[in-house]
Amino acid sequence: MAADPTRRTVLAATAALPLLAAGCKGVGALAAPPQPAPDVALLRDVIAAEELMIARYQAAIRLAPGTGASAGSAGAAAGDGTGLAVVLRSLLSQHQAHLARLSARLIVPAGSRYPPALSHRRTPAPRLPSVPHQLAAHLAAAERAASGRLARQLLAAPPSLAQLLASISASEATHVPVLRTAGRIG
Amino acid sequence: MSGSAAVSGTASDAVSALQLALTAEQAAAYGYGVIGAHLSGAQQAAATADWIAHQVSRDELEKLLSARGAVPAAAAVAYRLPVSVQTAAQARTLAVLLEDRVTAAYLGLVALSDRALRKLGAEQIRKSALRAASWRDATVAFPGLTASAK
Repeated sequence: MAADPTRRTVLAATAALPLLAAGCKGVGALAAPPQPAPDVALLRDVIAAEELMIARYQAAIRLAPGTGASAGSAGAAAGDGTGLAVVLRSLLSQHQAHLARLSARLIVPAGSRYPPALSHRRTPAPRLPSVPHQLAAHLAAAERAASGRLARQLLAAPPSLAQLLASISASEATHVPVLRTAGRIG
Repeated sequence: MSGSAAVSGTASDAVSALQLALTAEQAAAYGYGVIGAHLSGAQQAAATADWIAHQVSRDELEKLLSARGAVPAAAAVAYRLPVSVQTAAQARTLAVLLEDRVTAAYLGLVALSDRALRKLGAEQIRKSALRAASWRDATVAFPGLTASAK
């Protein structure tokens, strides 16, 4: 075998693999649904982590001072607290951009056992501390962990996915000091 | 060079990516000299720290290239800066531009099959993105990548 199928760099190329295998086994083998490649498993894992991060932010924004429902909390100084919700919304929009770009890469061959979207799996609402500085610290720790995880995962990814994961990992690392600052003032 | 085609192909990819990163680091090291001259106080201290970080990274890349038998690209005597710097605000803008270029250059290392270089590239992307975010006073979703590209 001159070509090594494990060295492919395009996820969509998985579509060809079952057909090659089928060629050796006869027509009956065509009935077997194609298996997603290991890259797809990695991508799904990264997407699930990004969805969890988005769920955390959505829950945090509901708790953050300056978000309607919790406005008017006792002891809030003038302008105090309005910053955190604004910061959280801005960071959330970047996570939504991460998710969109990751999801665009999830090309699963037709007939695969797995649907291309992850809508069947609902991320449970995460439990978060309600005190603003603890909330910001909690998110900062989650960002830091997510960034580190991506930095390890990219080592096993195909080149262009590795570049995207490196960029997202860096973006999440930059959220950490922003949250720490927002936690101090919010 | 025709002896081991498969290996030399990978090795030359690594050398090319390292040279590109080196060129970006050299330009950043030069640029921060200009940036620091237009800042004062804590911002000048930050510029000095970043300047040193780029010099250290530049030296590290030169070592990696020499270890691969390559001659590190020579630094230019002077660089044409992407923006003219007369004010502190323009100095900060230049810092952002230089960091973005460094970030993009290290993405080349992340595309290599060499795990150590990939890891180095990712670490440097994180560091330059942090510096860029500090100078920009804002974060971006895709450091080093264009917003529209897939």
